[in-house]
Amino acid sequence: MMFKKFNLNHYINYIVIGILTVVLSVITMTGGRLDSSLLFLLEKIAISIILAVSLSLVVGFLGELSLGHAGFMCVGAYIGGKVAALLEDSLGNGLPTFLIALLVGGGVAAVCGIIIGIPALRLRGDYLAIVTLAFGEIVKSLFQNTSDETFGGALGLPTPRFDKKYLFIIAFVLVLITLAVVQNFIRSKHGRAVTAIRDNEIAARASGINVTKYKLLAFTLSATFAGIAGVLYSFSNYTVQSAKFGYNYSIEILVMVVLGGMGSINGSIIAAALITFLNTKLATVLTGDLAVLQNLLYALILIVIVIYNNAPALKSFRDRYSLSVLWKKLIRRKHDPATHKDDEAKWDVVPTKIEMNEVLSIDVVPPEAKGNTGNGGDD
Amino acid sequence: MELFLSTLINGLSLGGIYAMIALGYTMVYGIAKMLNFAHGDIIMVGGYIIYVFMALNNPLLAIFMAVVGCVLLGILIEKVAYKPLRGASPLAVLITAIGVSYLLQSLAQIIFGSANKMVTVYDFGSVTILGVPMQVSALVTLGVTVVVMAALTLFIKYTRLGRAMIAVSEDKGAAQLMGINVNGIITITFAIGSALAALAGLFYLLKAPSISSTLGAMPGIKAFTAAVIGGIGSIPGAMLGGILLGMVECISYKITAIAPYTDAIEFSILIIILLVRPTGFLGKKRREKV
Amino acid sequence: MKLTKAFAVILALVFCLSAFAACSGPVNYAENNTEFVIGVSGPLTGGAAMYGIAVANAAQMAVDEINAAGGLNGVKFKLVAMDDKHDATLISTNYSALYEGGMQVSLGTVTTAPGLEFKNLSADDNVFFLTPSASGDDIPTNPNGYQMCFADGNQGKVAAEFVNANYKGQTIGAFYKSDEAYSKGIYDQFKANLDASVTVVETNFTDANTSDFSTQIDTLKNCGFIFMPTYYTPASLFMTQAKDILAADAVYYGCDGFDGIDNIDGFDITTIPQKVTMLSHFNSKATDGMAKEFIDKYVARFGADTLNQFGASAYDCVYAIYGAMKKAVDEGKDIPVTISASDLCEILKEQFNGGYTLAQGVTGENIKWETTGYVNKGAIQYVIKEANQAE
Repeated sequence: MMFKKFNLNHYINYIVIGILTVVLSVITMTGGRLDSSLLFLLEKIAISIILAVSLSLVVGFLGELSLGHAGFMCVGAYIGGKVAALLEDSLGNGLPTFLIALLVGGGVAAVCGIIIGIPALRLRGDYLAIVTLAFGEIVKSLFQNTSDETFGGALGLPTPRFDKKYLFIIAFVLVLITLAVVQNFIRSKHGRAVTAIRDNEIAARASGINVTKYKLLAFTLSATFAGIAGVLYSFSNYTVQSAKFGYNYSIEILVMVVLGGMGSINGSIIAAALITFLNTKLATVLTGDLAVLQNLLYALILIVIVIYNNAPALKSFRDRYSLSVLWKKLIRRKHDPATHKDDEAKWDVVPTKIEMNEVLSIDVVPPEAKGNTGNGGDD
Repeated sequence: MELFLSTLINGLSLGGIYAMIALGYTMVYGIAKMLNFAHGDIIMVGGYIIYVFMALNNPLLAIFMAVVGCVLLGILIEKVAYKPLRGASPLAVLITAIGVSYLLQSLAQIIFGSANKMVTVYDFGSVTILGVPMQVSALVTLGVTVVVMAALTLFIKYTRLGRAMIAVSEDKGAAQLMGINVNGIITITFAIGSALAALAGLFYLLKAPSISSTLGAMPGIKAFTAAVIGGIGSIPGAMLGGILLGMVECISYKITAIAPYTDAIEFSILIIILLVRPTGFLGKKRREKV
Repeated sequence: MKLTKAFAVILALVFCLSAFAACSGPVNYAENNTEFVIGVSGPLTGGAAMYGIAVANAAQMAVDEINAAGGLNGVKFKLVAMDDKHDATLISTNYSALYEGGMQVSLGTVTTAPGLEFKNLSADDNVFFLTPSASGDDIPTNPNGYQMCFADGNQGKVAAEFVNANYKGQTIGAFYKSDEAYSKGIYDQFKANLDASVTVVETNFTDANTSDFSTQIDTLKNCGFIFMPTYYTPASLFMTQAKDILAADAVYYGCDGFDGIDNIDGFDITTIPQKVTMLSHFNSKATDGMAKEFIDKYVARFGADTLNQFGASAYDCVYAIYGAMKKAVDEGKDIPVTISASDLCEILKEQFNGGYTLAQGVTGENIKWETTGYVNKGAIQYVIKEANQAE
């Protein structure tokens, strides 16, 4: 990872999102009109991308399941929204207010991340999942029952909405910042340490990796960006109502990460955009009890994708017929090690707490991965 | 005294239901080493089966069908969703379980609609004990729970099958070498857990004659909390945890100032227990195998 | 590799398409309308579905009647109803779909929580709304918003006055949902207006437990009067579980959320020995007048299952909007079918703030609006839904 040529693949997501943001910004700045439905959709997509990318850090790279991501977002939304509401009178509803709200909201969420990260050091797997879930419910319940003067309680917290013509630009700038931080983290030695912990905590510890530090780091980073997504949410709505931040929303974010392929940032981005787009479109198309079909779809996505990618019995099938294999056959191209991407979805290797007796067999690196520069989503 | 008695009975009967659900969690966790997230939703399915068969106005038939239906469903879920993942990473299994839970909820909503359905299984009426009026159904719930728990404990302790279950939970590999059909035992565990969930569904309907697709979600999570408090994998622990949680919930609802925070309180207890004593009150400490 | 390419292609396509679509948006989304479009967002599914469906049905009925009578100088009306599942997060989507679909005037939302979002979005575009049933005190605070129902604060206050008059010096019970805008809003106002001599035993519940109320019932078991500002589903469950525990002569006193409690499938209110009363502006058992006509028409077309005051209120809303538009036209205003929502809003605001009166409505007579958007109509009827039954 030392001397690398400029690798387009590493930067493609920044480039694409950046160009599109600039194009759309130019349209609005030069007096062009965008429908509010589109603006709202863009805001929602940006929020989802930030959430999915940050959750992907914990689920895909650290290999722990967090079911309280919406809880961190809730903290960010309420704290950020409250700060904005307080500052609105003196600073107005502009960029300074937004930035302060962002810092405070993200900061408090980060603190919560540390608080929840501490049990994360002691617990793992199912227990940790339940603790994060409990955290999400506690946060929701606390904000729901505040008095009207503090956080609005049952009525929700009224927050200043940022001018919709410009909010989406800020939102996508935040997406780029999130990507920059998370991707650089993953591609750095810290990221490799985190994936090493995922693949085998004991071995990682034995190799001198400070497990405590990296787990806490990943958790806090993830919570911070969830908080930032929350602040963004409070600026894109007139009220922050805690009912939104339940367990179901955490699951929805998880679906994005799973659908995108765990351990794939680009996959998470596409899945987040796609699911958010479908959500809004389906909400206007599907009415009545048919609207539940959406949830049914999520459930099936979760089950089918996870079983397909993880079932030991399907391994040989996957090796022969997986999308990437078929793709290679189709274009009859040899695998070029130079183009091998570090955060590419690698499903059969994802998050395991491998027992020691299995480690021996894991050491055999498949020939394909040998050219890899070493890192991210590989074994 | 009156306050004490009524809170005690309410707490015990609610705790009994939690214990019933927690048993399912704890047994599955102990034997299959997985958190069956869909367990709570089997309660809901049981409730809906009762709702459907109550059209025939025969409570006993409805209850019987609910138990049979839930057992079959539990086995089906295990075979289709969990069995293929045996040996895969725990994270994959957990996500699949969440998927199954979501699937059951949305299917129920598609079939029965999102509005609450009302069904009265049997109206036991109420009775006054020591000057405290209370619903007979609460007492029935309590009674049945105690009987079921006792039966289950005896079953596990004194029958071949029960001991095989203990063996599998202790060491799958060794159990298999001893000629125990591990897959069969896991299936049976799911079947028993689901039957208990069906009964829990019945008790919920006895308490409040209303059912919706999310009936089982919260109780499921709370029962897991109960299982953790008692020590996961331990049957008496599940009972103890369930009763404790039920009492806490009732007392908390009683105190108006903290009533809205009841969930927060229960979940805080969970987090604290996990931090201070991850094995719960009665759980065994397991050393991580290397 | 493939993922990166797919990524670039997909995102680029989506954005470019949306950007192209974006530039062409008209300033007046109603410019191609051939009918006046009335939009409404309400819970057509979920726990409060009975209200949304009632509003959509009754408003459609009013629209059809107006159209059958020739519309507004020959121009017909069209109702577009969208489902928000009582979820505020769906409002931005619903609202923009309605607005960009040509909505010129709105019935707002059916319930309060989504309404808090709707009122501001519609204020940004200056779209007039007259909500039949979103009763939150904050709903009509923007200049473009009006209510047909009584505001929560008002309901709580009237309930408190009733208690002050009838239960002075006594102990009463209260049961509400602490995490719901509607329920908490009414209760807070109720408590604020209550006479100091009245002691309240209060108990509440949250979203996490909406069915098992044994503890709450136990708390209230000695109360002879229970104030219950909740929606009908939890209320019916409370009553079922409490029927043998509370005194048979106890009284339940609910607000407009009680509406429809006698129409729940599987819940027979006659099995409840206690007396059930509610605050309402509509009597679903009315035997004469507009209300009777409305009930007959509604039941004949949609059945009695969803007959409630929300529908009645929506029916009045449509007629009020129609009446105000007609009055403006009679006064010489030009209202073309393609009028923008904002222009129509100015005309309607002028009417509503200028003393426009709906002389005969299903939910009252001489209905007027204050410039704050709150409704001003005849005293609230205190309707006894179910008399005390001897068992």
